[in-house]
Amino acid sequence: MEGRSAAIELESIRKTYRSGSRRRRRAAVEDVSLTVEPSQIFGLLGPNGAGKTTTLKVLLGLIRPDGGQGRVLGGPLGDRKARMKLGFLPEQPYFYGFLTAEKALDLYGRFFGLGTDERKKRSEELLDLVGLARGSHLALDRYSKGMLQRFGIAQALVNDPELVILDEPSSGLDPVGQKELRDILLGLKADGKTLFLSSHQLSEVEQICDTVCIVSGGRTVREGALSGMLAVAGYSTVTVSAREGPGFDALKKVAQNIDIDGDRAVVTVPTDRVYEVIDLARGAGLELISVTPGHRSLEDLFIEAVKEDRG
Amino acid sequence: MVLLFALALVALSPLLPSFDLGLRLPFLKDISISLTSLFGAVLALVLAIGQVNGEVDRRTIYNILSKPVSRLQFILGKYLGVLATLFMILLVMALEIIVLIYIRVKVFAPSIFLGVFAVFLEAAVIAAFCILFSSFTTVPLGVFATIFFYLLCHVKTGYLHQKMVTGAHGAWRVLAWPVYYLIPNLEDFNVSLQLGYGGGVSTAFILKLVGYSVLWSAILVGIAVLVFSRRDL
Repeated sequence: MEGRSAAIELESIRKTYRSGSRRRRRAAVEDVSLTVEPSQIFGLLGPNGAGKTTTLKVLLGLIRPDGGQGRVLGGPLGDRKARMKLGFLPEQPYFYGFLTAEKALDLYGRFFGLGTDERKKRSEELLDLVGLARGSHLALDRYSKGMLQRFGIAQALVNDPELVILDEPSSGLDPVGQKELRDILLGLKADGKTLFLSSHQLSEVEQICDTVCIVSGGRTVREGALSGMLAVAGYSTVTVSAREGPGFDALKKVAQNIDIDGDRAVVTVPTDRVYEVIDLARGAGLELISVTPGHRSLEDLFIEAVKEDRG
Repeated sequence: MVLLFALALVALSPLLPSFDLGLRLPFLKDISISLTSLFGAVLALVLAIGQVNGEVDRRTIYNILSKPVSRLQFILGKYLGVLATLFMILLVMALEIIVLIYIRVKVFAPSIFLGVFAVFLEAAVIAAFCILFSSFTTVPLGVFATIFFYLLCHVKTGYLHQKMVTGAHGAWRVLAWPVYYLIPNLEDFNVSLQLGYGGGVSTAFILKLVGYSVLWSAILVGIAVLVFSRRDL
């Protein structure tokens, strides 16, 4: 992995559209910059209308930016050679309904120049991977929304891509399907692939992404490693059994905050006083359950970032 | 469409006047090729006008163009697919005409193939025009533009020639003359009279029609590729 260039680099991307009766120019993306390193899962987040889909389309060459520059897998934006190594799942994908899943995968495989035997093999593997092996003979217009989404994931992988771009991959999937999708994505990452996903499912992003970028109003407002962005600097939590007494009172004096949840107490303390709290808890005969670095949710981060941008 | 054409032929057949064989056969050839020409134009319009914008509206285009398929390949693929469909349907129509003529007048008329081939060449130009409009505008506008294009290209040597060349003077002639020659002459593809009442058409003439059709189709499809390449999806 050392020495590999970034899978995706965008710098100050700008895209405007004419809209309205007076055909005024409106910026869908004003200033989006991000870098996606190889073999990681990158999450692109943002409220509705933030410019996420526009950014994805710029990456794929479906639209041309008015400003800025970018590279995908070492090639310019929209480069055909880069698209040979890339897979894409659009949001709410639409396919040729008269084709069966097998035939559709065969068609998409042809676009990558795969041979007949290889297309057949990939088709069987992918349909099995996404749980559609039994429905492979049905025409796609008979598929449910969840089945179409699974098929969409399969067609995004037909060429065994280096980079997979997914727009709302969990859309239409039930909880079991969402879990299976997460396992698939983590498996792809373990195989060395790079994943770039745009999603509103913050819990899903929080579980699997290494790096996130939050866009709002067409601009990048946050970007960085997820663990670092969610860490609450300087604080940790110590969870102990909750039992009133002198020892527990001593904890209250040291703690920033104590939340009681049934028979447990979650004590928030400055990180440099964690061992002091542990000693106090042990001295009071309280059971030490866990010690966790300070952490906030992605939802909190997202809302904070968007509120800051909107002033 | 093929069934409709066959039914139209069968329905019209009893209405045809009772000529002597010497007149009946030319008449049958003329009217069947003329009818095929009309069907061919409508078929080209129906097949081609929604090819590109239909894929954009249905969003199926994202799964194609996100893969290593260039916009040129996409437009060309769509056009060649329409041509292949047109060819097969018109071939079946030609066979239907030959069978009908044989039933009516007991004569095998292979020259029908030439006439229908000329129809195919004209339909190829119309289809190319439709693909061009499909690459940047809506179906209703494309249909209107194609009908206008069809009519314009069929009155070129008559009405337009008089208005833009022989009857044009001064500044209007300077402007109109180059525009006149930018309009294809689809009337050239109408060989029903030559095949029906004349001595047929020569190989050289057919080759000229092929070249003319290929030239205009290439120009229109080329413009479609240029326009589509710049379009944001």
